[in-house]
Amino acid sequence: MRIVIVGGGIAAVYLANALSIQPQWEVVIVSEEEFPPYDRIHLCGLVDHSKTLDAITLHLNPRVRVELNQKITAIDSTAKRVLSDHAAFHYDKLIIATGSNPKSLFDISHIDNAATFRSVHDCERIAKGMVDKNVVIVGAGPIALELLDTLMKNDAAKTITLIVRSDYLYSRELNPLSIALIRTIFESDPRITIDFNDAIVDRELLEGKIYRILTKKGRVIEDPFLIFGVGIDPNIAFARETLACDKGVLVNAFMQTSDENIYCVGEAAQLREGGFIAGRVKECTMQAHVAIAHLLGKEPQFKPAVTMDGLKVGSFLFADLTAPDFNPKDPHNETILLSHADRIDQYIVNNDRLKRFIGINTNTNLLKLKSLMEQDDPIDVGYFYSNRVMSENGRLVCSCEGVHEQELVKIIREHGVTSFAELEPFSTAGRTCGRCKHDVCALIAATPIDPKEALERKRAQEASAKEGKLAMVRERIAKYNRIHPQNQLSGENLQEALDSFEMRHEFNRWISMVTASMHLHPDYEEVVKEGVTNLNKIPIIWLELSDCSGNSEAFIKTSHPTVDDLILKYLSLDYHELLMAGSGDQSETALDAILHNDHGAYILIVEGAVPLGLEGKFLRIGAKGETGLALLERVASGAAAVIALGSCAYDGGVVAAAPNPTGAVGVAQALHRTDIINLPGCPTNPINVVGTLLHYIMFEEFPKLDEKNRPQWAYSFRIHDNCERRGHYDMEEFVREWGDEGAKKGWCLFQMGCKGPYANLNCSLVKFNEGTSWPVQVGHGCFGCGEGKIAFDHYANNRPLEEKSDEN
Amino acid sequence: MKTKKIIIDPITRIEGHLRIEVEIDEDNIIREAWASGQLFRGIETILQGRDPRDAGLIAQRICGVCTNAHYRASISAVEEAYGIVIPPNAEIIRNLVTLSLFVQDHIVHYYHLHSLDYVDITSALGASCAKAQEEAHRYCASPYRNSVEHLENVQEKLTNYVKAGRLGLFANGYWGHEAYRLTPEQNLIQMNHYLEALTIQRDISKAIAIFAGKTPHPQNLVVGGVTSVAEILNPQRLNDFLFIIKEVREFISRAYIPDMVMMIDAYRESIHTGEGRASGNFMGCGGYRFSHGGTLFESGVIKGHNFDRIDPFDATKITEEASRSWYENDAPLSPYEGETTPFYTDLNDDGSLKTHGKYTWVKAPRYEGEVMEVGPLARMMIGYSKNSPAIVPYMEAFMKRSTMKLIDFSTTIGRNAARAVEAQLCCDYLFDMMSDLIENVKYFDETTWSKYVFESLPQSSQGAGIFEVPRGVLGHFVKIEGGKIANYQAVVPTTWNASPKDARNQRGAYEASLIGLRLADPTQPLEVLRTIHSFDPCLACAVHVIDATGKELARYKIATP
Repeated sequence: MRIVIVGGGIAAVYLANALSIQPQWEVVIVSEEEFPPYDRIHLCGLVDHSKTLDAITLHLNPRVRVELNQKITAIDSTAKRVLSDHAAFHYDKLIIATGSNPKSLFDISHIDNAATFRSVHDCERIAKGMVDKNVVIVGAGPIALELLDTLMKNDAAKTITLIVRSDYLYSRELNPLSIALIRTIFESDPRITIDFNDAIVDRELLEGKIYRILTKKGRVIEDPFLIFGVGIDPNIAFARETLACDKGVLVNAFMQTSDENIYCVGEAAQLREGGFIAGRVKECTMQAHVAIAHLLGKEPQFKPAVTMDGLKVGSFLFADLTAPDFNPKDPHNETILLSHADRIDQYIVNNDRLKRFIGINTNTNLLKLKSLMEQDDPIDVGYFYSNRVMSENGRLVCSCEGVHEQELVKIIREHGVTSFAELEPFSTAGRTCGRCKHDVCALIAATPIDPKEALERKRAQEASAKEGKLAMVRERIAKYNRIHPQNQLSGENLQEALDSFEMRHEFNRWISMVTASMHLHPDYEEVVKEGVTNLNKIPIIWLELSDCSGNSEAFIKTSHPTVDDLILKYLSLDYHELLMAGSGDQSETALDAILHNDHGAYILIVEGAVPLGLEGKFLRIGAKGETGLALLERVASGAAAVIALGSCAYDGGVVAAAPNPTGAVGVAQALHRTDIINLPGCPTNPINVVGTLLHYIMFEEFPKLDEKNRPQWAYSFRIHDNCERRGHYDMEEFVREWGDEGAKKGWCLFQMGCKGPYANLNCSLVKFNEGTSWPVQVGHGCFGCGEGKIAFDHYANNRPLEEKSDEN
Repeated sequence: MKTKKIIIDPITRIEGHLRIEVEIDEDNIIREAWASGQLFRGIETILQGRDPRDAGLIAQRICGVCTNAHYRASISAVEEAYGIVIPPNAEIIRNLVTLSLFVQDHIVHYYHLHSLDYVDITSALGASCAKAQEEAHRYCASPYRNSVEHLENVQEKLTNYVKAGRLGLFANGYWGHEAYRLTPEQNLIQMNHYLEALTIQRDISKAIAIFAGKTPHPQNLVVGGVTSVAEILNPQRLNDFLFIIKEVREFISRAYIPDMVMMIDAYRESIHTGEGRASGNFMGCGGYRFSHGGTLFESGVIKGHNFDRIDPFDATKITEEASRSWYENDAPLSPYEGETTPFYTDLNDDGSLKTHGKYTWVKAPRYEGEVMEVGPLARMMIGYSKNSPAIVPYMEAFMKRSTMKLIDFSTTIGRNAARAVEAQLCCDYLFDMMSDLIENVKYFDETTWSKYVFESLPQSSQGAGIFEVPRGVLGHFVKIEGGKIANYQAVVPTTWNASPKDARNQRGAYEASLIGLRLADPTQPLEVLRTIHSFDPCLACAVHVIDATGKELARYKIATP
């Protein structure tokens, strides 16, 4: 399915990243901007050059295709296409996330020294245009204030005048005391004037430049640079003809528009019930989440929730909490104001319920207030009052996640956090909209950590973690000994056992297992050797269905343990067409004997796809002409476990590639089962087969599986991340032509169509044929053979993905 | 005459899903035979409409055993269609990989897929290791891994295995069958090498992986050349390759060849009676150029064992027909025009083949309307008869050692002997080709890819990649229209050998080779397996179809009886 997302902001990227995890979905972002999606929240940083465009460019999954410079002008919902002036994009599902357009009070498109504040271009214009000018900002809301704050920190502007039409700042509900405080803070900069109850009445132009601005109150501003921060309108002109719209595109609680194949989220969407329009990042991502869930067939609904917001200004701390049903015009609203020095807490209460809180330099526990709103609990004014002095948690640092300063300090101290990255396991602060990341980093830098105490704490933590691991190892060994009474493992020497038995290090463990000698302490080696050798043999049936024998051929190339040891010692490969001695009646009798004698005990390995077309008769096995499907069903029903080996058995693989002439499917689909263990690959590296089987031999259970039922120890590595050529990718050193100088030097193959970024497997770590080589090493690149049939329909070519999709 | 039908399905120790049905008379002599491919996948259908440059990676998946062969043939077909000539280094690397595959494939075939038809593992348990050591010296001056201690180890390993009670792969073999002729000691020697060969085939795979990234399903070819340029500039990698091949050569001359001579001695009678002899028509397309001129294999066509007359090989004389195969359109057509749609007429109710009508997914390729046998035997026959300097010395040495005449090779045992000789000579010529590569690199020829601008290549064209591959002549035929694959067809060695009967009722090679064979015990048709295995069947390759109209890709019909 092809999902087209129109838009170039946080909501679009959030959607695209979440959707691109689904391998069967092709995700395309169509953006009118000339730059890849970036984070508008941090645009201020571009104005004062504290950030670069790269720094605010949003991370996008490489599977997502991005089409830039495509301003969508219309939707053709019958043909399921969106149209720009130059192109048409087909979609199966469309998601509109175009956000909004900034408003301006008059047309500024042909004026050099006027701008709005919404895009990278705007920032460039402002940064360049404001130098030594009398900057005029029109507006009173958050955008205008944040911009004012940015310009204040920068000495480029000669003067700055904020022209406010009415007599409030930030929001009409904000109390006069707070307004005055904010004004005082800003006007402490002699360049800044905040001009209430005023408006531009005239401007004088010369050669596309305003050289003078005249205001209602008679203010004359010469040589100005004008910036509009007056508000935003949903950016949905292109959708008005096709979809039901009001202010925004009307959506239901699943974010679905009047056309069921089209969703709309973020600032462009308006809820049909209640008219809500999102304004905050958290709301936009929540809506995106709802739309994704609905696409996946789930039905969570979007309901406006309590919003927590902060104004991103450095000069003062500002927090705003709003209940979803807050109605500013309700005559029953009462304001409770608690102020102390430069701290002001403003509570708006309606019938004993808290509806809004706006705090400046506040220490109040916002989470408590939030839950008051959510629970719709009656308020206790006494609590507000006593709360005034409480400052346990300190200021709110992250408004998206509701994390306060002291909570963070505690985490930083306790865990000895020294960088933003180290904080991740303990707190999500700074990771949703990213607005406060800088504050969080500053806090980390400012929080002293006693090295001695931190070390002790760390030691204690490690000791308890180790104890946990040891307990796990003991449990494993006990289980092993229960299963193998004749081959007891020693419970001593736990330190070595730890390295190899601890599940999180399964990869290392299997490398050491599978390299047989295991490179471990000699004592331990002896123990495990004893354990694995001469085990009760596990009977194995290996069925070849619609296959090419590639996996069998790969299997006999296994080493450590070698295939002869494997066959003669560890496994009882009782039925395997490629290798077994008997044929015809003899092989079929052998099969029947295993099915009967080892019912419920044998492992079934299936190689090849299952053709369902022609009633399954594209494949028949045995003298009675049993179809492949019937044989599979018969053998699978008595198996202790079923392993689908190779990409064909996984989802049909190459046999099911378009147009899938034989109606081939994978084993799980053919059997309608969800417990099939998948080992995709074309062919699958024998290390991964043997490792998985050895795990079963030792513990009678399979290693931990991922969501596609693949063993995590082998499939949780993205090839690109562990690629030997990754350094060249990062340096942008690419092979551009087969056999060129880059190829001779082993540069990155991404431009030659390597699909390593889209493939999850351990090839780059274990390689093939006893670690001799792998497709990237021989300069060809990966085509994601382990990703199943999608590899053969989309990846098996020597071109980057973008080129391919032109054909659609 | 009273006849009885025997169905053998599955034929194991081959690639793919093959069934053999034979009709035997009162004396257990085979009077008629039918070979049937029981799996259809339609890879060629999948290839239609794709970018020609992408054909290789998908066509490769036709088979995981001959994997590199299809990859190469497919890419070469596209190169021919576009008139792209690959640089010498690319051709050498392709040859190194393909010929290594010959060696790997032949060794796996003989030991792991075939030898159990002749080697009785249970008999080896009773062998005297000291006597076995001596016995091995009768066939080779320095037999491979032949110390008494080693043989004792092997015997112990096998004994423990059998004692443990689970025979696994070796369960329900034909152990004790009267057709087994080797002595306990000979069985032990062969079993020893069965196990050693597992290591050897793994080692050759490493050599292949040096240039091809991995095997099965190597990944180093692109239209215009090869990608593994860094490998040829790395002396360590070249050296690794040579050392592996050196080891393998040791194994071939000290184990494979002597074991084959031992086998000939033991089964000489079957050679004299011509057991497993087919029509005597052989076909080869030649190939694998030497830098000093000439080719490793000769092309030509031999008919009815007439070694004095070798007709030139002409690919345009190849047709395929489907009168007995589960496809529409029975008439013989050239591979470019191949027009066939699945037309499945099912099996009988009891699961047996409808031997009077269509009975297999394998089509019937013919050369000038005649059945041909392809493979190592055909190559050795043609090369020897054309007096090829690359082949004759090896054949003569072997014939002298085994006291075989040329006609003796056209038997079940002889096919294996021809394969062993071929493995030996391929191994030797790998060294020559490697020195050519080193010479080129030494004189600064590092080119591995011929540049072309894809957009300016012809939109419509056709081409073929025809190669000798381990099992015989392989042809991939591609027709390009509008820059996309319009038609794709693979005529594969096993298609020739496993061919069904045709409209003129000419039997395919498998079928013909079985006629007149006597079964000692019809419930244990070991003799059939021997003969069929001697061809080294590879069924996944053999079954294919193309729908030239490109419209109804998944159409099939079930005929009512």
